[in-house]
Amino acid sequence: MPSKERGPIQLLQGTLDLIVLRTLFSMGPQHAYQIATRLQQVSDRLLNLNQGTLYPALVRLEQYGWIKGTWGKTENNREAKFYAISKAGEKALHAETARWRKMAGLVERLLIEDPQP
Amino acid sequence: MMRYLRRAYAKFRNLFSNSRLEEDLDREIATHLALLEDEFRSNGLIPYEACLEARRAYGGVEQAKQLHRNERTYQGITQAAQDIRYAFRQLRRAPGFTAAAVLTLALGIGANTAIFSVVNAVLLKPLSYPDPDRIVQFLLTFPQGPTPAASVPDFHLWRERTRAFQYVSAYDFDPHVVNLTGGVPEQLHGLHVTADYFRLFGAPMLLGRTFTSKEDSPNAGNFVVISYSLWKRRFGGDANIVGKVISLGNEPFTIVGVASERFHTDPVADLWLPFQFDLNSSDWTHYFKVAGRLKPGIPLEQANAQLELAANEARRIYPLADPQLGFRVQPLHDTIVSGVRPLLLMLGGAVSLVLLIACANVANLLLIRATGRKREFAIRAALGASRRRILFQLLTESILLSSAGGLLGLGLGVIGVRALLAASPGDIPRIGENGTGVGLDWRVLVFTLGLSVFSAVLFGIIPAWGASRPDLNAGLKESGNRQGASFRQNKVRSLLVVSEVSLAIVLLIGAALLIRSFIALRQVSPGFDPHNVLTMDMSLSGARFASTASVSRLVREARRRLNAVPGVEASAMTSWPPLRGRLGLPFIVIGRPLGDSSSTGDGLWMDASPGYFEVFKIPILRGRGLTEEDGAAAPRVVLINESMAKRYWPNQDPIGQQIIIGKGLGTKFEEPPRQIIGIVGDTRDTDLTIAPDPTMIIPEAQESDGMTAFSLQFNPVIWLVRTRLEPYQMVPAVAEQLRQATGGLPVGHVRTMDEVLLGSTARQDFNMLLLTIFAAAALVLAAIGIYGVLAYSIAQRTQEIGIRMALGADRTNIRNWVLRQGMLLTITGVLIGVAAAFGLTRLIAGFLFGVRTWDPVVFIAVPTLLTIVALLATWAPARRAARLDPIQSLRLE
Repeated sequence: MPSKERGPIQLLQGTLDLIVLRTLFSMGPQHAYQIATRLQQVSDRLLNLNQGTLYPALVRLEQYGWIKGTWGKTENNREAKFYAISKAGEKALHAETARWRKMAGLVERLLIEDPQP
Repeated sequence: MMRYLRRAYAKFRNLFSNSRLEEDLDREIATHLALLEDEFRSNGLIPYEACLEARRAYGGVEQAKQLHRNERTYQGITQAAQDIRYAFRQLRRAPGFTAAAVLTLALGIGANTAIFSVVNAVLLKPLSYPDPDRIVQFLLTFPQGPTPAASVPDFHLWRERTRAFQYVSAYDFDPHVVNLTGGVPEQLHGLHVTADYFRLFGAPMLLGRTFTSKEDSPNAGNFVVISYSLWKRRFGGDANIVGKVISLGNEPFTIVGVASERFHTDPVADLWLPFQFDLNSSDWTHYFKVAGRLKPGIPLEQANAQLELAANEARRIYPLADPQLGFRVQPLHDTIVSGVRPLLLMLGGAVSLVLLIACANVANLLLIRATGRKREFAIRAALGASRRRILFQLLTESILLSSAGGLLGLGLGVIGVRALLAASPGDIPRIGENGTGVGLDWRVLVFTLGLSVFSAVLFGIIPAWGASRPDLNAGLKESGNRQGASFRQNKVRSLLVVSEVSLAIVLLIGAALLIRSFIALRQVSPGFDPHNVLTMDMSLSGARFASTASVSRLVREARRRLNAVPGVEASAMTSWPPLRGRLGLPFIVIGRPLGDSSSTGDGLWMDASPGYFEVFKIPILRGRGLTEEDGAAAPRVVLINESMAKRYWPNQDPIGQQIIIGKGLGTKFEEPPRQIIGIVGDTRDTDLTIAPDPTMIIPEAQESDGMTAFSLQFNPVIWLVRTRLEPYQMVPAVAEQLRQATGGLPVGHVRTMDEVLLGSTARQDFNMLLLTIFAAAALVLAAIGIYGVLAYSIAQRTQEIGIRMALGADRTNIRNWVLRQGMLLTITGVLIGVAAAFGLTRLIAGFLFGVRTWDPVVFIAVPTLLTIVALLATWAPARRAARLDPIQSLRLE
């Protein structure tokens, strides 16, 4: 891979919501720090965002009724707000995943069929 | 879809739980940071580094909070609420600034509200009749312009030859005085109308009915409709009044109805009498007005097309008609307000200039304040406030200021409009009795509100724009004490001052032109001596005064008694006194070839008893004046004024010549020849601003009976007395003699001729007064503006001045340097203002008298005056600058 493509990539609109939902769905209730850490692991540090920028997504998802935050204790006995995915959230995750796959497939097809740049 | 609704609800709910959410967020962020720190520490970093790394990984805490806030609720609303709270705090912390700004705005907005209340009542409010836009006024059009007048044949043609109108009705120009006799005599205002008048104006009736067309035909008897207020006041609200007989001028009139309280006419009247026209009359005198109501759906143009045909007919059947005579209708509202529209527009224009200057001043204050707050904005921007946010914050402060100003201005406006109406000449239509028609309504409120917001944007936008893009580096670095204004801001401030000065110049020149007109008007000699002359009206009506002989007997007796009163120098009677309107009549000169243009002419016509020229001290230039000998049986005589002699007998002696007055006007005016027996000095009888017209004066005892009846139907007779003492002292004795001479008739409308003369220029005086007040306000505001900018710029440049002094500039140098700055601004403003005034004074040409719109005296004196005032305003800052102690000013840093 050419080195110029090694830098962090910009997050597409709406993808953060999807990633957060997916994380909570597969990992169970998590607090903001855990979600942020998970994001970094999964993205192999390609997604280099300030962890604070996660908060608006959490507010948005909670207001949609897709996740729910409750205060609890971490293993180190620190208090933290744990977010859990709701039934509506799971439904939304499926719908969004399907949509995303469709979209990605479409883009992928276009990229394959067109001559390489 | 569902999720958006849920979200909207959550966001809305969050508006009210802000502090709890904030706390929650703080906790969450603290945890997050702590967890991050734990991680870095376990990776082997020392606590201090771990803390730094954690913050770096997290990003800006305040920014994250702000993102959270923007996401969780309707940020616009909470921000607006915050902005308002913050603005309140800011304004409270600077009470001097706030008071100055609010007061300036209140004066500007108040003056505008006051003027607008009048504009609203007069020009904007629809007439208070049903479907007012269908009511039109009939006009006669001549090459000189249209006039809302009509004669009986005109009226007849309009009714018979058009199909566009539902109703057509005639009514008097002005109410005339009626004596209500029986019991305590009282002078009332009556209006002659035709039967359709009440239907046309949709008059609601309280009791009874309006006139039938039979009651409105010649010799049908005496009928009257009375107003609600007269019914209440004089007849105690008698429910059975219809059918009762009251006595007007000692004659019985049957009351057929009482109009409802809601019926307001213009002109206002106490009672209405039927005209009882003979529709076959060929009397083409224009002595009343006509209004009509268009049929639904008929446009004005269609009515005018029909009237054009009627005008052709009129010119055919009336040989003396002006060949260019035409008929036309226009909305009644336009006719009523046409006289005052230019006045109100001029006042509105002037007063809005005052507001502009006030806004410029407040903008200047805000700019100065904004420089003082540079650090505040820089800090806010550094903490993540967007440019838009700061702009809105500052505009909120402006709107708060202008709302306070607007509220106070509304109060001032309500008071101001009363003062305005008290000073007004009292001939402004539609404002009701004592201006009760002028008040607060939704239009005024909306206007004031709009004006407040508009001013806020006007004065707030420039300072806010400048302050909303702070230079963070410079703003944060500057110490709290000395904050320089940027060059750009100084330029904006100078621009504001220059515009203030030029606006003030425009207003001042306008006011000065009106003052010059006022003085010129005062210097006009009316041609008669108004001092120590008393005038009194008396209404003579009814069968007792049906003939000239009866009136002239009365006049002779009254004058005999008046002249015997000690202190009375001379007395006279006329129906057509100066400054109250005249009749114009044509005449033929006997002995000149008929059909030749020299044989006919037009002149004003008046009657007079002996003593008239003595009362007014009008000189008899040639021939003789009127005497008791010029009675009904004596040879018929006429006097003419100098203008008439010069125009129609340029190189001849008119004395002894004979003229026939009113030839072809019908029996009422037509009469045998008269001999010219004298030439009198010219008098300005129409208006002081109008040059004397040719005038014919005939002895009252030689009037035709028809003319006497005509005059008395519409006009009172006027008694004139020249006194040796102060005229009002003589009123009781004079009124008593008149009562005895007339068998108990009262006099009304008692005034001195000086007052009549003053009243005739009341409107000009009013214009002058108001414009002078506005201009004075403008001058003061502009002076404050100049002072403010210079004083501030000195305070700002204290160091610079210190350095200059240290480098050897002496105090005079410094002073002149500041003066030069002030004068540069002033002169620029003056030049622009003078140029603008050259263009704008044309708009007030109609209000000027005896002075040209580019009067050199005004155009030199006003700029000089303003420059002197500006110099004074510059002087204090200049002196302060010159007195600075260089050591101290350098130490300021």
